[in-house]
Amino acid sequence: MSNAILVVGGGFSGLTAAIEAAELGHDVYIVEKTPWLGGRVAQLNKYFPKLCPPSCGLEIQFQRIRKNPRIKFFTQAEVIGFSGVKGDYNVRIRINPRHTAPHNVEFNLLASGLQGEVENEFDFGMSKRKALYKAMPFAFPNRYVLDTDALSKADAARVAGNKFLNVEEKPREVEFSVGAVVVATGWKPYDVTNLTNLGAGTVKNCVTNMQLERLASPFGPTGGRIVRPTDGRAPNHVAFVQCAGSRDQNHLNYCSYICCMATLKHCLYIAEQSPETQITVYYIDLRAPGRYVKVLEKVQALPNVHFIKGKVANAEQAPGDKVRITAEDAVRGEKLTLDYDLVVLATGMQPSLAGESAPLPLPLDEDGFIAGGEEAGIFAAGCARMPLDVMRSAQSGTAAALKAVQTVKGR
Amino acid sequence: MAQCVIKPDLEFVRELQESGGDSLKKCYQCATCSVACPLAPANAPYPRKEMVWASWGLKDKLMGDADLWLCHNCGNCSDLCPRGAKPADMMSAARNVIYRDLVEPKSIGTLMSKPSGLPVLFAIPALLWLVIWAIRASIVGAWFPRTFDGRIVFGQIFYGDYTIDPIFMLTFFGALFIIGRGVVKLWGMFKPEGTLTVIGQKRCWLLHLWDVLWDEVITHKKFSDCEEGPNTGKTHYNRQFGHLLLVYSFCILAFVTAIVAGGHWIGKIWPVVSIETPMPLTFPVKLLANLGALMLLAGLAILTVRRWLQNNKNHGSSWHDWYLLGIIWAVALTGVLSQCFRLADCVVPAFMVYYLHLVFVWMLFAYLPWTKLGHFVYRTAALVYVRMYGRG
Repeated sequence: MSNAILVVGGGFSGLTAAIEAAELGHDVYIVEKTPWLGGRVAQLNKYFPKLCPPSCGLEIQFQRIRKNPRIKFFTQAEVIGFSGVKGDYNVRIRINPRHTAPHNVEFNLLASGLQGEVENEFDFGMSKRKALYKAMPFAFPNRYVLDTDALSKADAARVAGNKFLNVEEKPREVEFSVGAVVVATGWKPYDVTNLTNLGAGTVKNCVTNMQLERLASPFGPTGGRIVRPTDGRAPNHVAFVQCAGSRDQNHLNYCSYICCMATLKHCLYIAEQSPETQITVYYIDLRAPGRYVKVLEKVQALPNVHFIKGKVANAEQAPGDKVRITAEDAVRGEKLTLDYDLVVLATGMQPSLAGESAPLPLPLDEDGFIAGGEEAGIFAAGCARMPLDVMRSAQSGTAAALKAVQTVKGR
Repeated sequence: MAQCVIKPDLEFVRELQESGGDSLKKCYQCATCSVACPLAPANAPYPRKEMVWASWGLKDKLMGDADLWLCHNCGNCSDLCPRGAKPADMMSAARNVIYRDLVEPKSIGTLMSKPSGLPVLFAIPALLWLVIWAIRASIVGAWFPRTFDGRIVFGQIFYGDYTIDPIFMLTFFGALFIIGRGVVKLWGMFKPEGTLTVIGQKRCWLLHLWDVLWDEVITHKKFSDCEEGPNTGKTHYNRQFGHLLLVYSFCILAFVTAIVAGGHWIGKIWPVVSIETPMPLTFPVKLLANLGALMLLAGLAILTVRRWLQNNKNHGSSWHDWYLLGIIWAVALTGVLSQCFRLADCVVPAFMVYYLHLVFVWMLFAYLPWTKLGHFVYRTAALVYVRMYGRG
């Protein structure tokens, strides 16, 4: 029997669940797949409801983790074994090697001198990174990672002698007991290569909404300037394609909830940077839940933002690396074919577990969202359960923590 | 904002659903379909507007919509439809309702619209030709006669001058008359409210007809235009070749029939051009006829396999679709088989299959205004109309 709690996923809802449970006196283990905590929120430029930068909300969470000895977190880790019964689970995890010293070493100078470069997954392929890297300045844990696969021959020689780097480090396995589990595995952006009629990711200057977040982020590939990836010029005409893969039985058969608000936020980013830029949002229905309608009203009042009811169903490359899109203005009954400097696909949220074989005994619905498992003391939080914004993810994290605590209480 | 009162015709919605548009209510008007269709014009594209009319039961709007006939049913819209509402099937269902209701007597259209009506439709020509067979058998003295030199000649029972020619001429011109009335009615339904001002020069309708025939029949290029929509990520079979084979074979067979009939009747006055059946296998007209028959079978096989293999999730096949393929199969097979049995000297099956051939050919022509085959007239008429109005 154990009254410890396992939290799978170190994004906003997982962190919230872990902190809430730990602050109630439980031992908590966070298992995070990537090298740093913070999840998708860390990739954003700003997030709802207050449109603050991610460091703002995450900073507080990281502080609470740092100060709470009950929370142990494992990064670059995944659950590989799970057995036992409710209240007494045995968990086995594998921790992949980080190859860097356990304390905060500043590798900036060494890293910038390396030759090998690979696509930066944190920027969704819009930039390159070195083999030794840290994805964001406020990273937590504030440690570099050495990606040995990305080292060139010369790089390998350079890092070999460094006493703070250990290229020989091997994966480790750790076992521990928990009484309950919070699964906060979050979401992934829907794979645009499936959207054949929208160019399947091959059209230049046709980016996804998450790529636009990276473009807008001061720590992103352009230092926060929203420009065309091909020539670095600010776009004069931008189009947003709503429901790119969402509410579509051929792709995600549900509304992803956040994309309308994300697009409205992006309109604000662009209007702030270049008020002259003409923006057109193509939508089926605009969904601004609850008080977010205020944001919709604010964006609708902007002089250079236009809304057209009609889904974009074709995107092609046009001369000058422009993007040619076709949509029917369903109100006027007119088919429009127009070229834009930059087109943003508002792709939806797919649960990270979709198409994955999770080691936990989790009932998933047909879309990959967690549907059930509570009777076994396994509680879903955040976007692993349904599409949510950050605020509601945090709420669902608290709710899951409360349920997990009740499961193990009194043992 | 102008106010308008919408009176939904729920019965009409149900009819559309039964005629192949069963998923039409799933539509949420995202307008993907209008973009998916490479043939839809930029101004008032289809089929999104048709989907909302169907959903609301606006019968007059939908039935009087010439765009129904611009659609060549490639199915791009259904492939890309995010809801599985199958706009292509709805367009086809609306055309099916037109086949059923456009011309009098509507009872034939009703019988034609469902499999349960088939026995009656079959029984009418079956009885007609059986009576003729019985009368002729009593005159000739045998149900399965042979000529004095032992050959099988169908004309002994189904004698052209008194039986086949008058009945089929009556049937053909009757169907032509009815379908002509259908065209007039269809054009009346297309006519928009108010008056139309034409700016610039008007073009003679005959020239428009020629354009339509060039695009649709001679080159069949519209089927290839169909393929130029957005990439749906799904495999499609271009129907151009199969349909072209079929249409060309129909033209050949019609030409051959005209030659034979012409040769027979004109030959009575001017014996030089006289053609008597059965013709020898090496006779040019016979060669052409058999070439037509082979093309017909090949085209049919291609189109049937395509329909058979198509993804039922996105594309349904209605009774009208299967009836049309079925009746042409029946005509083609009985035609080829009766020739085979005749040449193989099997007198009983030869006459029986030939009898069935007459029954099926009669069904093909007599019911034409109420079947999908009528599309070659209705569609041509609609396309000429839209071109005269500067659309399509």
